[in-house]
Amino acid sequence: MKSSRRTYASLLREYFRPLWQRALILLLLLLAGIALQLINPVLLSSFIDEAIANAPLQRLLTLAGWFLGLAFLRQIGSVAEAALAADIGLRATNRLRADLVRHCLNLDLAFHNARTPGEMIERIDGDVERLNNFFARFIIDLLGNALLLLGVLVLVWNIHWQLGLTLVGFTFATLLLLNRLRDIGVPLFKKARQADAELYGFIEERLAGTEDIRANGAVAYTMRRLLEYSRRMYRANITADIVSVSVFGVTRVLFLSGTGVALGLGALLYLDGLLTIGAVYLAYRYTEILLQPIEVINRQIQDLQQAGAAVVRIQELLNRPSRIQDTGTTPLPATGPLPIQFEGITFGYIDEDNATGAPLELVLRGLTFELPAGSVTGLLGRTGSGKTTLSRMVFRAYDPTQGAVRLGGQDLRSVPLAEVRRAVAVVTQEIQLFHAALRDNLTLFDPAVPDEKIEQVIRDLGLGEWLNSLPAGLNTILQPGGGGLSAGQAQLLALVRVFLSDPQIVVLDEASSRLDPATEHLLEQAITRLLAGRTAIIIAHRLGTIERVDNVMILERGEIQEFGPRATLAADPASRFAQLLTTGLEEALV
Amino acid sequence: MTPQPQPIREWPTWRYIFELARYKPWLYLASGLFASTMFYVFPLIPGLIVRDLLDGLTGAAPLQVDIWALVGLFIGVWFGRHLFILFAVIAEASLHMIINTLLRRNLLAHVLQQPGARALPHSPGEAISRFRNDVESMPEFLSWTIDPIGQAIVMIAGLSTLASIDPLITGAVVIPILITLVIVNIASKRIQRYRQAAREAIGSVTDFLGETFGAVVAIQLAGTHEHVVKHFAARNETRRKAALADLLFSQMLETFTYNSANFGTGILLLVAARAMQGGASTFTVGDFSLFVSYLGWLTIVTSMFGSHLIRYRQTGVSVQRLMGLMTGAPPQKLVEHNPIHILGDLPALPPPPTVSAAPLEMLQVRKLTYRYPGSEKGIGPIDFDLPRGSFTVITGRIGSGKSTLLRVLLGLLPKDSGEILWNGQPIPDPAAFFTPPHSAYTPQAPRLFSESLKDNVLMGLPEDSFDFEAAIRQAVFERDLAELDEGVATLVGTRGVRLSGGQLQRTAAARMFVRQPELLVFDDLSSALDVDTERLLWERAAQHPGQTFLVVSHRRPALRRADQILVLQDGRLEARGTLNDLLASSPEFQRLWAGDFDTQTTHSE
Repeated sequence: MKSSRRTYASLLREYFRPLWQRALILLLLLLAGIALQLINPVLLSSFIDEAIANAPLQRLLTLAGWFLGLAFLRQIGSVAEAALAADIGLRATNRLRADLVRHCLNLDLAFHNARTPGEMIERIDGDVERLNNFFARFIIDLLGNALLLLGVLVLVWNIHWQLGLTLVGFTFATLLLLNRLRDIGVPLFKKARQADAELYGFIEERLAGTEDIRANGAVAYTMRRLLEYSRRMYRANITADIVSVSVFGVTRVLFLSGTGVALGLGALLYLDGLLTIGAVYLAYRYTEILLQPIEVINRQIQDLQQAGAAVVRIQELLNRPSRIQDTGTTPLPATGPLPIQFEGITFGYIDEDNATGAPLELVLRGLTFELPAGSVTGLLGRTGSGKTTLSRMVFRAYDPTQGAVRLGGQDLRSVPLAEVRRAVAVVTQEIQLFHAALRDNLTLFDPAVPDEKIEQVIRDLGLGEWLNSLPAGLNTILQPGGGGLSAGQAQLLALVRVFLSDPQIVVLDEASSRLDPATEHLLEQAITRLLAGRTAIIIAHRLGTIERVDNVMILERGEIQEFGPRATLAADPASRFAQLLTTGLEEALV
Repeated sequence: MTPQPQPIREWPTWRYIFELARYKPWLYLASGLFASTMFYVFPLIPGLIVRDLLDGLTGAAPLQVDIWALVGLFIGVWFGRHLFILFAVIAEASLHMIINTLLRRNLLAHVLQQPGARALPHSPGEAISRFRNDVESMPEFLSWTIDPIGQAIVMIAGLSTLASIDPLITGAVVIPILITLVIVNIASKRIQRYRQAAREAIGSVTDFLGETFGAVVAIQLAGTHEHVVKHFAARNETRRKAALADLLFSQMLETFTYNSANFGTGILLLVAARAMQGGASTFTVGDFSLFVSYLGWLTIVTSMFGSHLIRYRQTGVSVQRLMGLMTGAPPQKLVEHNPIHILGDLPALPPPPTVSAAPLEMLQVRKLTYRYPGSEKGIGPIDFDLPRGSFTVITGRIGSGKSTLLRVLLGLLPKDSGEILWNGQPIPDPAAFFTPPHSAYTPQAPRLFSESLKDNVLMGLPEDSFDFEAAIRQAVFERDLAELDEGVATLVGTRGVRLSGGQLQRTAAARMFVRQPELLVFDDLSSALDVDTERLLWERAAQHPGQTFLVVSHRRPALRRADQILVLQDGRLEARGTLNDLLASSPEFQRLWAGDFDTQTTHSE
């Protein structure tokens, strides 16, 4: 709890303090609202007293007019207050979200591999959302309502100290009770939310596997499981509800007893001639008003506890350092193809949940080789042989457990990360398209790339006609999930991205899905152009591709089984590659 | 969502609500009674007590009882109210969760009955928002339906009490209430519009987050982190504005209605000023306090009443979205009264039929045809026979219709025409028929669920009457199983251990084997298996002579094992025969066998 208290403080310092001007206005609005709220009963009270004392009508009308005017002011004030609080909350959380995105984008691939995009949505949007109220209201409400509480108690004390003392006693007792009972509900609600999450997790998974369920006769079983999850959710929620309503009821009844006692006491004081009837009424109204700050304070503290889990998760995320340290200073040659050297590369993924940082099973075992500048190498091997991992070492997605990767003779760790990433381009099988403008999809939101250059690349790749058919050209918004684009077009767009970045090294994870012949042809041509004058690694799935490479490397369990010029290997009947060519590539690659 | 027309929507929203109310009528009434009526009526009582006290003190109406008795009554009333609230919460929360469960049950049951390929209108993730938010809004509105009764009682009781004191003053203070009602009604459409814009802005943010973290490698390589963050911030900014507009508008309405209580009191002061003058008039201090107290409460009640109309429209949107999941079903299916066993014991699962009533002798497919809606693509007409114990491989290029053929046969896609005969008997509803013990199926990308490995294989089958071990062996999974730390109890699926592609496929195969169906259908089972494992799998399959296999594959171990090979090309049956026949006669098959053209590729990775 102590560490999270420090976390709250640092979050407030970082994201709430820059908004202090708005927060100050908010506080003023809140105080003004409170003041108006306190004046209101005074007006009513003096109205009663003056009416009974036969005051002139004019005087009574003036009082009523004041009352109306202040009510109107309060109305305006409360709208402004609500809007301003929401604005503060949204501004603060939006900044926090942006910071989280920036931080996570800079984290290494090991981090991202362990998390689905769905989980990232939940952590960056969902968790931060829970802090909205914390930024928007917590400090201000706590401050404002504590003042209101004090103010009312002072005012009642002014009417008569006995009344004041009674209310102070009951207020104190209520707050104390609240504090004692508050924690009872929290674990129950946690459990209830967990039951909810499990139910939806269950449904989501089953919705994705309807064929598996139906064709294997498990519909009845699945429906029964749904009811089991629902029963669990029912029980957890009902328990939490009953307990929290009871707690709420007990404290409220306690406090309202105080109101009743104050009322009776007021009546006695009136009978003793110590109070006017207006003052009795005023005291009664004030006790009613007292209920509000007590409930607000209660709610805010409860809310803070529920936000606690989110704060811990956010802090975890922000404290996760990137395993790739960007401390290099040596530049790479700016142009021309670069040679790639692996020197005794051994690598194993590090278990994300394990703090020791010891690598799991080794994926690459002592790889040493050199790919000359401008050469094209075909990478073959079964699933899990380490092809993808090897290709990712080239752009320093991971640092090797042992050994060094060199581009142009430079150890990657001595080169600024931005340089490495600028020099290497990767074309994956699946291109992630954004529900955003075509332009942004191609430049990945870099506004500095001129339109003419983008259009030129698109036309060069044979997509000119397609571009012309788009209603808003480069500004056309692509449909979510890449809808409206064929698999082949998406592949070509991925190539447009690469051409725009003009890399020195290309890693191509060849598409294994079948394209229509026309697109296929376009793609082949584009790849031929892409490979010219660049060092390339192709993770190959087709015989046709193999024919255009200079070298062939076959990986087996993270080790090089065979590596050499394609022509030499093909000519040697004893080589694994030659065997592959005869038995068919298909069976080798699976 | 609103502009999308829903052709199936034949019921107005209230019909659904009515049917839901009838599901547990007593609970509905109890919830209504506690939650609504008492909630509204109770606050009227303390006002009366305070009036009596004040009037007793000023001598306007002599006190009947002791002051402290009144105070005790005052506290007792509040205590009673909170006791009622407790009952109300239990009743209302029960009602909500029961109705939610019923709706989810009906939705899931329907989705599971749909042809698998087109069960959902969008993604499962999108469907979750319907299973959660849209489902929940139904019982919420249901609970509100009884409120107007409580509200009407309060209105009548409150206003007539006030009117009995002074009809003229009552008339004067009712006006702000009426104005509130009118304004809320006029504005309700705009409220919806702002809300919708705000929701869409949220969707745009989460959308972008998902896409960004799906493309993290591309962004890191492009080095455009800052631009991406900027774009993200811009979408957040849009959301902020939309949220503020939404909030500002509804807050303005809300504060207006709430504060009109103060206006009412202000008007009361103006009107009452004359009436109260001199203290001896008919309008007493106690009356005044009662007016103030009632007006506040009446105004709150009024603004709640106004929001009903908005809620009704919003519920209509939810009904549409839920019916969007109930493709092709009549409206009553959504709210059908099915048992959900939320309390008490769950009834035992019906025992699964172990032996087929009609063991497969011969499966005949005649002129089976299917076209994807709105396209020329599809399959058929296709004819073939599967004799008992045979091993049939369907092969062909990617996109030739292999998976489609399997799915149409099994009823996962609705056939356009043709006949399927089981021992000569036509099968009218393939979807219902092609389940264990008649058949079982493993799709191309099988799904496992976040349960133990054993649960994933058995999926509810009683362990004592089905041979789990044998199924694992037949699926060539015994060695993998031995390597898993927790064996059969290992949690798999998205929240558990990530199995490799081949392990996943073989677990799915075991799931099929354990059911001992007559006909086993694999869609490209071997795509992630190495050659040795695949060979072993087919060898072990051969040890079960009673089982009939229908397998999509283009790999040699399967083709060599086949009694019959069906070669598909562009959705038609191009050739049929044994391996040797086809190698001699079918040019398409020769190309497939040799794999010497670019389009012949694997599904791996």
